[in-house]
Amino acid sequence: MKKKIATLSTAILASALLLSACGNNNDNAGAANSAGANQPAPSNSANTAAPATDSDASGLVTASDMSKLPDIAKQRTDTIIVGLTDPSGAFTPYFQQSGYDGNVSSLLYTPLVKVDEKGLPIPGLAEKWDVSADNLTYTYHLRQGLKFSDGTPLTADDVAFTWTILYDKSYDGDSLVNSLHVQGGDAYKAGTATSISGIKVIDPQTVSVTLEKPNASALTLLGSDVLSKAYYGKDYKQGQLDYMKKLSGSPLGTGPYKLEKFIPGQEVRMIANENYFDGKPKTEHFIYKTAQGDTWQYLETGEVDYASFTATQENIDKLKALGFVNILPYTPSTYGYLQLNLKHPALQDKLVRQALTYGLDRQSIYVDAAQGAGQVANIPSSPISWSYTEDGINPYKYDAEKAKELLDQAGWKAGADGIREKDGKKLTVHFLGSKKPETDIFIAVAKEDYEALGIKFEPEVFADFNALVSKVEGGDYDMASFSTSLLTDPSDGLLQFVDGEIPGYDNPAFKALYDKGLATSNIDERKAVYKDIYKLLNDELPVIFTSYKKSVYAYNGRIQNLSVSPFNGLAPSLPSWTLSQ
Amino acid sequence: MSTYITKRILYMIVILFAASFLIFCLYALTPGDFITGNIKLTPERKAELREIYGLNKPVIERYAIWMKNAFHGDFGYSLSQQKPVLTLFNQYIWNSFLLAVVSTFLTWLIAVVVGVVAAYKQYSWFDTIVMVALFAAMSIPSFFIGLFLIKMLAVDWKWLPPGGMLTTGSNSTGMAYIKEVIHHMILPVMVMTLLGVGSLTRYFRSNMIDVIKQDYIRTARAKGLKERKVLFTHALRNALLPAITLVGFELPALFGGSLIIEKIFNWPGIGQLYMQSFSLRDYPLLMGFTLFIAILTVIGTLVSDILYHVADPRVRL
Repeated sequence: MKKKIATLSTAILASALLLSACGNNNDNAGAANSAGANQPAPSNSANTAAPATDSDASGLVTASDMSKLPDIAKQRTDTIIVGLTDPSGAFTPYFQQSGYDGNVSSLLYTPLVKVDEKGLPIPGLAEKWDVSADNLTYTYHLRQGLKFSDGTPLTADDVAFTWTILYDKSYDGDSLVNSLHVQGGDAYKAGTATSISGIKVIDPQTVSVTLEKPNASALTLLGSDVLSKAYYGKDYKQGQLDYMKKLSGSPLGTGPYKLEKFIPGQEVRMIANENYFDGKPKTEHFIYKTAQGDTWQYLETGEVDYASFTATQENIDKLKALGFVNILPYTPSTYGYLQLNLKHPALQDKLVRQALTYGLDRQSIYVDAAQGAGQVANIPSSPISWSYTEDGINPYKYDAEKAKELLDQAGWKAGADGIREKDGKKLTVHFLGSKKPETDIFIAVAKEDYEALGIKFEPEVFADFNALVSKVEGGDYDMASFSTSLLTDPSDGLLQFVDGEIPGYDNPAFKALYDKGLATSNIDERKAVYKDIYKLLNDELPVIFTSYKKSVYAYNGRIQNLSVSPFNGLAPSLPSWTLSQ
Repeated sequence: MSTYITKRILYMIVILFAASFLIFCLYALTPGDFITGNIKLTPERKAELREIYGLNKPVIERYAIWMKNAFHGDFGYSLSQQKPVLTLFNQYIWNSFLLAVVSTFLTWLIAVVVGVVAAYKQYSWFDTIVMVALFAAMSIPSFFIGLFLIKMLAVDWKWLPPGGMLTTGSNSTGMAYIKEVIHHMILPVMVMTLLGVGSLTRYFRSNMIDVIKQDYIRTARAKGLKERKVLFTHALRNALLPAITLVGFELPALFGGSLIIEKIFNWPGIGQLYMQSFSLRDYPLLMGFTLFIAILTVIGTLVSDILYHVADPRVRL
C-alpha cells in the first residue's frame, strides 16, 4: 500500500511540476483581445522606423496573384471564416470573462454609441444624445423601430434594465459602469432601494441617466450593448444574478449576426440577422474558428480568411509571398510600460527615473529587435487616439551620458566595484518579466545598458502572468514589464495613476488634471487637458513608457469593403463585407 | 478476494481524501488567483470580486465548502467559461478520449508485434533497424515532428487537414461525419503513436528476450513443438504478464488529454482546456479535473492488480 501512496503522490507532484513549467505564453485573456483593436498605422512620426512598403496611403498592400488562392477558400460563396484564440461560449456582454468571448459578442450586439477610428463617439442604436450643461445628465434617443434578433422590439426599458443589473451586488463581470457613480447606484447595490433613482425612462424612445460626479467617459461606457429585459430580466431578483450563467450560451442581441451554433473548442457559427437596424449583412454566414496559437497554416491552406500577425519584416515578406492575401498594418490602442516601485527610495527621485529612461536603448529593444513591429512610447496614450500628441513631449532618446549626469546629480556616485552608491546603498534594479521572447531581448539590452551606467540589474522571469502580478502586488521588485488592455477613452490609460495601481505615486496636480479631463464632454477642451497631462507624466515618469506594438492583418483578397476599427474591431465594417467570385 | 477489494476501496477513499487536500493546497499556494490577472480592474473592484467568489476566505474554509459541494456532485462553476465544470468535462473529454484510445491501441499493437519479432530475431538486421528507429522516434520532440508533418502533409502536399476535428462550417452527419473526423485524426494519431511506440516496444522486446531464455521454452522446443506455437502460446503469454500493470496506468492518460498534441493540431480536447484554465487560475475547473485524474489513477492501479491476479493465479492478493 505504501507503494501506491508513493505512486500517487509522485503522479501529483509530477503534474504540479509540469504545470508550473508549462504556464507560459498565455497572455492574460482580459488583455489579449486578439481581433479587437486595430486600425491602419499612423503616419510616420519622428520615432517611427516602419519599413517602407509598396502600399497605398492606409498602408494596405493588395494581393498580387489571386490565382494562388486555395480551392477550399474558392468554394466558399457565402461564408467568411476568421480565426479566434479561445471563445469559451459565454456570449452575454458584461458577463463574459475573456476578451475572446468579447470578440464574439461584439458581432451579436450593437452598442448605443459606437466610436470612430479615433475613438470619438458616433451613433449606434442611439441616433443622438444630449449632455446636460453641468455634464451630469446623459439622455440617449433611440432609433425608431429597433428590434432584437428574435423580432421583439427594443425600448428604453431594456436600456434601463441593462444599467440597473450592473449595479446589482452579485454582479461579477468586469464592466466599469458600476464605477461611474450613477445617482442612487450605491443605494441599489446596498439593497436599500429597489431601483436606481438616477436612471429615468422618459418615453419608449428616450432614456436618461444622472451621475453624481462628471465623467466624460460615461457617454460610451453607458452607451454600450443592450440586454433584452423580457429575455434576460425574466428571472431577475435583486441580489441574484446567478441565473444569467444559464443564458450565456444562448445570447439574444441586436448585432449584425446571431448565434447559430457553438461547438466547444472548434467553432462559433453565426448567421446574418435580418432584424439588424442597418439592414441584413451581405454575407450570410460568419464563423469564428478556434485556433490555438499559430494561425499561419490555416491562412495558408485557405481554411481561414483573415488573421493577424506581428508586423515584423519577416512576417510581412512571408504574407506577400502568399500572393492571395491583402495586408493591412495597424496599431492597437494599448501602450507598454515598465512599472517602477515608487516605494523604493532610489526610485522616488524623479532624476533617477529619468536616468533609467535615458539610459535604456528603447529603440533597439522595441523597434529594431522587433524588426520594425513597434514604436517607442513616451506618453500613456496610443498614437491612434484623438488625444495623442508629441507636442512638447520629451522623446528621451537613448543617451548614456545624459543618464550618467542625472545619476551624478541625484547623488549616486560610483563605488569601489563600479556600482553606484548613495548613503551606503547600492543602486540595483530588480526586474520582473513574464516569459516570452521580447523579455529575453529586453533583459539582454537592459543589462548591458544599465551596467554601463553603474546600475546593478537583476532580472527575474516568470512562467506565467498571474505569478508575475502577485509578485508585483507583494511589492518585491523595482521594475516590472506590462502592457495595458485596450483603451477607448484617453482617461482609461490614466486610471492606473489615480486608483492606486502604481504604488507610491500620489500627485495632487495630476489628480486635479485627471478630474478636469473628465469634467467636460467638449473634445477640444479635453484635448488641451490631456496634452497637459501627457507633458506632466512624460516629465515625472511614474512609469517608464516603452512601446506601441504594431501588427498586420492579412485577409483573403476576395473580401471587399473590409476595414478595421481600432476600438470595435471587425464589427463596424463586417455587415458590408462581400466575397467577390 | 472480496475482502481484499473492500479493503482496497477503503484505502482508496483515504488516499483520495489526502489527494484532494494536497491538490487544494497546491492550488491555494500557487501565486495569483482568477482576479489577479485581470489588469482592467481597479483594486477596489478586485476586492469586491474576491468577496463574491469567496476567494478572500481562509484556505481551510474554502476546502470545506469545495468538498461539501463535491460530495453532492457539484464541482462548481468554471469562472472563465461560466459553465458547470462537469458540463465542460463532458464537452471536451470525449474528444481527448477518442484520440487517446485509437493511438493507444495502435501503439500497443505495433509495440507487441515489433517487440516480439525483434526479440525472436535478436541481433539480426531487423532488430538493429528497429532499435535505431526506436531511438530516433523517442528522441524527436513532439512539437517538432508535429509541425514537420503539418508542413509536409497538410500545407505542401495538401493530403490531410492541418488541424481541428471537422472541416470548418461542415454540416455533415452520419458516415460523412465519421469519415471527416477520421480524416482529421490521422495526423495527431500518427504523431502520438510514433512517440509512444518507442518505449513500449523496448519493454516488450526485453521481456520477450528474458522469457525466451527460460528453461520451459527450451523444454517446449525440445518436445518438438512448432516454433510458432512455442513463441505465441508459451512465450508471449508470459512476456505480456508484466504489461498488465501498465494497462492500469493507461487509464488516466486516456482521459487526461495530451496538451502538446492537442495544441499543435488544434484538437478540441481537455488538455488544452486545462492549460488555459491554469494560466487563468480557474480553480474550480483545475481542482475538479486534477481530482478526476487522481480518481482514475487510483482506480487504474486497482484494476491492474485485479487483472494481474486473474491472468496469473500465482500472484496473491
